[in-house]
Amino acid sequence: MKLLLGGILLAAGFAGFPLVTARNDLLNLGIQIFLAVALAESWNLLGGYAGQITLGHAAFFGLGALVTRTLWVGGAPLSVALAAGALVATAFGVLIGGPAFRLRGAYFAIGTLGLAEILRITVGNLMPEISTIPVTALASYDLVPRYYLTLALAMFSVAVVAVLVRSRVGLGMQAVREDEAAAEASGVGAFRHKLLALALSTALAGLAGGAFAYYHVSYYPQHAFSPAWTFDAVLIAFIGGVGTVHGPVLGALFYVIAKEVLAVQLVEVHLLIFGVLFLLVVLLLPGGLVEAWSRARRLITRNS
Amino acid sequence: MILTQQLILGVLVGGLYGLAAAGLSLTFGVLRVLNVAHGELLMLGGYGTFWLFALWQIDPFLSLLGVGPALFVLGLVLYWMLFQFVVKAHEEARIKNSLLIGFGLTLVFHTLAIRLWTADERAVTTDYAGAVVKIGVFTVPLVRLSSLVLAFAILTALHLFLAKARWGRAIRATAEDWEAAALMGIPVGRTYLLAFALGTALAGIAGGLVSVSYSISPSIGIEWTLKALIVVVLAGLGSLFGSFAGGILLGLAEATSVVFLGGPYREVVGLVLFLIVLLVRPQGLFGDRG
Amino acid sequence: MLEVERLEVSYGALAALHGVSLTIRPGETVALVGPNGAGKSTLLKTIVGLLVPRAGVIRWEGIPVSAEPPHRIIERGVALVPEGRRLFARMTVRENLELGAFAKRAQRERRAQLERVYTIFPRLLERERQLAGSLSGGEQQMLALGRALMGLPRLLLLDEPSLGLAPRVVESIFSVLAELHREGMSLFIVEQNVQAVLTLAQRAYILEGGRIVGEGEGQRLLQDDHVRAAYLGPLARGASS
Repeated sequence: MKLLLGGILLAAGFAGFPLVTARNDLLNLGIQIFLAVALAESWNLLGGYAGQITLGHAAFFGLGALVTRTLWVGGAPLSVALAAGALVATAFGVLIGGPAFRLRGAYFAIGTLGLAEILRITVGNLMPEISTIPVTALASYDLVPRYYLTLALAMFSVAVVAVLVRSRVGLGMQAVREDEAAAEASGVGAFRHKLLALALSTALAGLAGGAFAYYHVSYYPQHAFSPAWTFDAVLIAFIGGVGTVHGPVLGALFYVIAKEVLAVQLVEVHLLIFGVLFLLVVLLLPGGLVEAWSRARRLITRNS
Repeated sequence: MILTQQLILGVLVGGLYGLAAAGLSLTFGVLRVLNVAHGELLMLGGYGTFWLFALWQIDPFLSLLGVGPALFVLGLVLYWMLFQFVVKAHEEARIKNSLLIGFGLTLVFHTLAIRLWTADERAVTTDYAGAVVKIGVFTVPLVRLSSLVLAFAILTALHLFLAKARWGRAIRATAEDWEAAALMGIPVGRTYLLAFALGTALAGIAGGLVSVSYSISPSIGIEWTLKALIVVVLAGLGSLFGSFAGGILLGLAEATSVVFLGGPYREVVGLVLFLIVLLVRPQGLFGDRG
Repeated sequence: MLEVERLEVSYGALAALHGVSLTIRPGETVALVGPNGAGKSTLLKTIVGLLVPRAGVIRWEGIPVSAEPPHRIIERGVALVPEGRRLFARMTVRENLELGAFAKRAQRERRAQLERVYTIFPRLLERERQLAGSLSGGEQQMLALGRALMGLPRLLLLDEPSLGLAPRVVESIFSVLAELHREGMSLFIVEQNVQAVLTLAQRAYILEGGRIVGEGEGQRLLQDDHVRAAYLGPLARGASS
């Protein structure tokens, strides 16, 4: 309950933000945070809740971006372009889901990585030129609608995960994560649950990619398929608290803001720091910031 | 004609793919741990060789005598600090955690390399760098040929170690059945440590050979991790020479694709093969365990 | 020589051994019988260090060893021939045997001990270069036993040595065990084949549901009605007086 309240307050705060300021750099920061939330939550759904660690998440982000960009720049209405992007990403995910889930653990992770790389290289070869928003659209480019779109997307992803977690299907996914054989034995169709998690995860990732395509003025199409997006998603999810609803939100806030702060002084050092933090989290504090916070709270209440 | 020349070059690079894969195969086979930072360790070895040459003009092939042990020690440290906690878990959690740890290490090493040495490409160019051996109308770069021969020699030495030496056999036994190995009086933790450090040493040596035969930069880490993974999947676990052969196979496949599909799709061929083998024959073409 | 006091062992939340106490004196052959799932394998695994007890003490030659890793306990002179043999199937007979002498203490005697094992099991010498996985059941048991002997143990633990073996092979295995006993080795044998093991053992313990429920001299237990009823089947019951 408290979380829900806090979340609503946070969202309201973010929503009201553009009304009090016109600073583009802060709006950009906000957009990056929201994209990060959506990206991390979508990965968290599959990797944190269903327990299927995938390293090919960028493939779906990239597909969403590619389809949305192509359609929207070509004149289609944004909503159609976004929906199409999500659809294509999901379709691709479901298509590979069948064979992919035959692979255990490590092989699934590297298999998905391999797939994402194949897409990236192929797209890079077929579309080597930079993609830029046409001049006509550039003139009317406004950050505010993009801000609200990405905010809505972030809220949507959090909501999807929150609802899913408490649902019967969501519990089934977590059962599969804990012990697939036991879940299967007690009647939880492991494959069905994993496929559903994959579909939802890729749909959200595709939407995030579409939002990215709407937001970025110019970029190389293959950049949207870069493994860096996967790494970001995994980092944020873990540092924030994998397998929780609000973990990725905390992680995204922390990550994007810290990146901004550090980028001023040292190039790329934020990755180094996050890499070390990530290692510490995996080894010592698997619950990430969420766990750190609850531990700190317990320490305070015990000493007071 | 062009095809044959390309195939020759493919074999030459394939030997290094095999060497890189052998290290990964060793770690995966013995500890059941997938160190996706393997390519980063290769990259570090490459930079070690590069700097030893750039600063003190030490011949790259000679500097391997220093780079190998240095990476061995790094492997000891990494196992002691990180991976030893991972091996205590059950197989699935073990692989999951090792993936994550490898991932974190990749980030750390990659970023560290960029900070320390910039993203520029480097190569070790010795006096004899341009030397070639002519076989009929085909040219074989001498340095690459030497690298291939050296890679093969190292794998042979390692094979003998695993076959005959007390600790080499302990590694094989632990890979097959660690509880039974423990019953032989084999300290399993120490065996894991040794296997892991050997794996990183192999990566480092491969990296050194890459720096002199091709070029290095911080971004080759992920590239070579993928190559090693592809070969491990292609060849399967359980045989060093299988890894070598798998590496050569990959080199040949890439060379063929370059001739028929053009350069840009070189990486794709390997990845596609990789996915096909993963799905159709997960234990690999020469392997004896999935 | 081996003292187990009030041992408690659990697999997670599941308790497998409750307050198990027993002793094995130097040169003794002791049997451990009991129904499936009683915890017999668990006990052997704990003694050799593969499992860590929740409570209780294990003392070997006076030294508490319950927290030591397996390789340390093996160094001290205890060996286990595990259930199902657990041979290294992809290695040769000879490699398996030589691995048995991995411990430093055993390394020095390796060549001599190998000769001894080949004398006890000439079949292993014949099959020296064959892969362990290609041997027959009986030969595998011989190899497992020979491999354990390579470690120069003073106490040999055996987990179901007769499992899956033809009666004639069982006979030959047990005659080897009898010979080892005569030479002064201590043996602790877990066995379903109660007839065979109680004939050989001086003493035996009965383990049921994780607890020691009986103890006695080997021959006497063979005559005991409860034992006969539980483990020797209708034929024996019919023949008891």
